[in-house]
Amino acid sequence: MRRAAPWLALLAAALAVPAVVRSSFALHVLVLVLFWATLGAAWNVLGGLAGQVSFGHAALVGVGAYTTMILYLRAGIAPWWGIPAGGAVAALASLPVGIVCFRLRGPYFSLATLAVAELVRLVAQNFEALTNGPTGFLITTLPPLRLGGWTVNWEAKGPFYVTAVLLAAVALASTAWLKGSRLGAWLVALRENEDAAEAVGIDTTRAKVLTLAHSAFLAGMGGGFYAFYFRYVDPDAVCNIGLSMEMVFIAMVGGLGTVGGPLAGALFLTAVAEVVREHFQVGHLVFYGLCMMLVIRFLPEGIWGRLHRRIARPRRAAADVALGG
Amino acid sequence: MSLLEVEGLSVRFGGLRAVRELTFSVERGEILGLIGPNGAGKTTVFNLVTGFVRPSAGVVRLEGRPLTGLRPHAVVRRGAARTFQIVKPFPGLSVRENVTVAAFVRHPVRRDAEARAEEVLERVGLAHRAGTAAGQLTLLDQKRLEVAKALATSPRLLLLDEPMGGLNPAEVDAASALVARIRDEGITVVLVEHVMKAIMAISSRVVVMNQGEKIAEGPPARVVEEPAVLAAYFGRRGA
Repeated sequence: MRRAAPWLALLAAALAVPAVVRSSFALHVLVLVLFWATLGAAWNVLGGLAGQVSFGHAALVGVGAYTTMILYLRAGIAPWWGIPAGGAVAALASLPVGIVCFRLRGPYFSLATLAVAELVRLVAQNFEALTNGPTGFLITTLPPLRLGGWTVNWEAKGPFYVTAVLLAAVALASTAWLKGSRLGAWLVALRENEDAAEAVGIDTTRAKVLTLAHSAFLAGMGGGFYAFYFRYVDPDAVCNIGLSMEMVFIAMVGGLGTVGGPLAGALFLTAVAEVVREHFQVGHLVFYGLCMMLVIRFLPEGIWGRLHRRIARPRRAAADVALGG
Repeated sequence: MSLLEVEGLSVRFGGLRAVRELTFSVERGEILGLIGPNGAGKTTVFNLVTGFVRPSAGVVRLEGRPLTGLRPHAVVRRGAARTFQIVKPFPGLSVRENVTVAAFVRHPVRRDAEARAEEVLERVGLAHRAGTAAGQLTLLDQKRLEVAKALATSPRLLLLDEPMGGLNPAEVDAASALVARIRDEGITVVLVEHVMKAIMAISSRVVVMNQGEKIAEGPPARVVEEPAVLAAYFGRRGA
């Protein structure tokens, strides 16, 4: 509870932002940061905690985004229900993928995820009856929503911002919960040495499949939010490899396996993207790659990991002295 | 009924028959030494029993129930835990975390698992190292950690793969005493070991393997006199 207190304070402060910040550009940038933090956290659960590097997480975002779109445009189910539904569908879809792909270890698993993502993109591209093919989906108007006698204004950024805060909170809180759980301890063990993990009774396949589902749920909700916020989804927007790489980037730069890392990584990515986009049209991936190499070389524990160590270490040292150890 | 029964166990790696028609059993409460020259197939037997390698033929039973076909984690849950000759700690985790992770198999609640880990660390003499990163331990302590991780899963059968390899004579004595103590606490032990001093001192029975086959079985003092065993280790005179 003591560890959760600063987080709860941060959440309260984040929710209060729209009351103070009136600039819709500023809110838009914050929405992007939170959206990226959610996706980064989704990747981080599997890639950072369990050490299973996926290059295909965009496919899960795509499944979530398409689910939200299809539910709204074909069945009239509002996107705020579509977002969790997108997470659930992505999690379900991840199960068979996990059961098959986790037979492979290390780089072979990573390559398999790349292939699965490409398959999903091709389905989105060509299964026109379901996905509208390359045309994609466009939401022209969002359904009216009344909350306690107050009608939500979908032309403002505020409602989207609040949704993004809640999503990011779910992503980070569930990472913290997983880290503290038995499954979390098992994931770290299997990341360190898979044979040794099996030898102490850990069902490594099951642990990985469950974690992929967790990761997919968060990624799918992120995709649902994408559909809700940008109101336009096509295969290139949500199923491309660039998106997968951005998720890897956020988790790595922020700090693999850390709770707050994706938030730090998302801030960094958004800043880089805003700076780079002014000068280059499509070259941003080159810059991401460059940053990633620099981080791996000089800051392997990530921004959050480094900050956390700086803050936590002196405190722990003091505690050791106090205990006489 | 024996605790562990191995019947007609065989495995091939390509053209190599690493284990051939191996049959032996392990009785409750004993320390069984599994010995033989390098390449005899001892570690492969461990891999077969614990589910890391699937046998081409034969069956392994623990308390009468077949283990064959189970994945390693399921074998552990049935009550047979192993250590690795080349130690496999979780190097980035502390000694305490290493053992807690193993204790989680029987104790789903962290507090219980941690209590169990402390108890096991105390037993193997690693309690004073609990906070150290496992990757930074000395070899002796890494071997102790292997045993601690296996013990933390509360096994009935413990398979130790060369726990004394690379240790100096004083350390071998300490390790032998530890293994004997584990047996005294009611855990049956199968010990693969090249250090004959330890085998002679603590095992009640040995199975000798050569080129994948069992060539002798019996009390250690008698077995080491057998011509087939001497021939396997030293070569046949005049042959």
